[in-house]
Amino acid sequence: MAGTAQRPVETKVGITKVVYKGKSGQWAFVGHRVSGVLVFFFLLLHIVDVSLINSDPVLYDEVHELYGNILLRIFEVGLLFALLFHSLNGLRIVLVDFFPGMVRNERRLFTGVLAITIVVGVPCTWVILEPFISGRIF
Amino acid sequence: MAVTSPPSSPSASPGALAGTPRSRRPKQSFETWSWFFMRVSGLVLLFLALAHFAITHIVNDVVDTDAGFVFRRWDNPLWRLFDWTLLALALLHGLNGLRWSIDDYIRSRPTRAAVKAVLYSVSGVLFAYGTFTIVTFQ
Repeated sequence: MAGTAQRPVETKVGITKVVYKGKSGQWAFVGHRVSGVLVFFFLLLHIVDVSLINSDPVLYDEVHELYGNILLRIFEVGLLFALLFHSLNGLRIVLVDFFPGMVRNERRLFTGVLAITIVVGVPCTWVILEPFISGRIF
Repeated sequence: MAVTSPPSSPSASPGALAGTPRSRRPKQSFETWSWFFMRVSGLVLLFLALAHFAITHIVNDVVDTDAGFVFRRWDNPLWRLFDWTLLALALLHGLNGLRWSIDDYIRSRPTRAAVKAVLYSVSGVLFAYGTFTIVTFQ
């Protein structure tokens, strides 16, 4: 991935601003980086919250109950979409890298990534938010 | 060269290097393996991470994954192995992705070194902490 996006060109005068107007591939690249960084920082947080179970299981339960809160449920929906998009787009990258002929279907592949992300993500969003909507959890 | 290979076609194919003498092929550096690791770990994580999310957010509601849930789950060493593999691969995959991004966006050498030092230290400590949790929990 490194080097896929066009970088600013360094000249003697300084750095010239270059805005790369790419198509679907550029958005796939940006989305992949952003979703990857988000999932990584959640992972760091998640290691800490799970590890509480060893030192203090009661504290673990208290912290864990926060995840049932509506704000954190919305956060979990965000995590879900980041995970789905990053996984499927990663699969697209693997396909294009190992089967170079796939480049011809680049646009269709990316549309497929977005379509599956939404088709899987929306029903799962309902499952995650349903306990709040039905009033079981505040 | 004793054998003349036909002019290479404009589109690269998996066998593009087949006719190239071994000495003239590009050397496989650390970055080659880093690229390969991202593809392989990505494919494994696609199943591990999505299965983990499905178990803790879709099949079970997040509030039900309390200390008792972890206790029952980690009673089986195979689930501990599953979770540890997920921890190790996700952390390494994310770390390498962030390394690429840092190389792309942070242009000043001292800043880059400092940011990497913090990232590697925090990830190393959390990897040890997470491993400790999974191994010693009872």
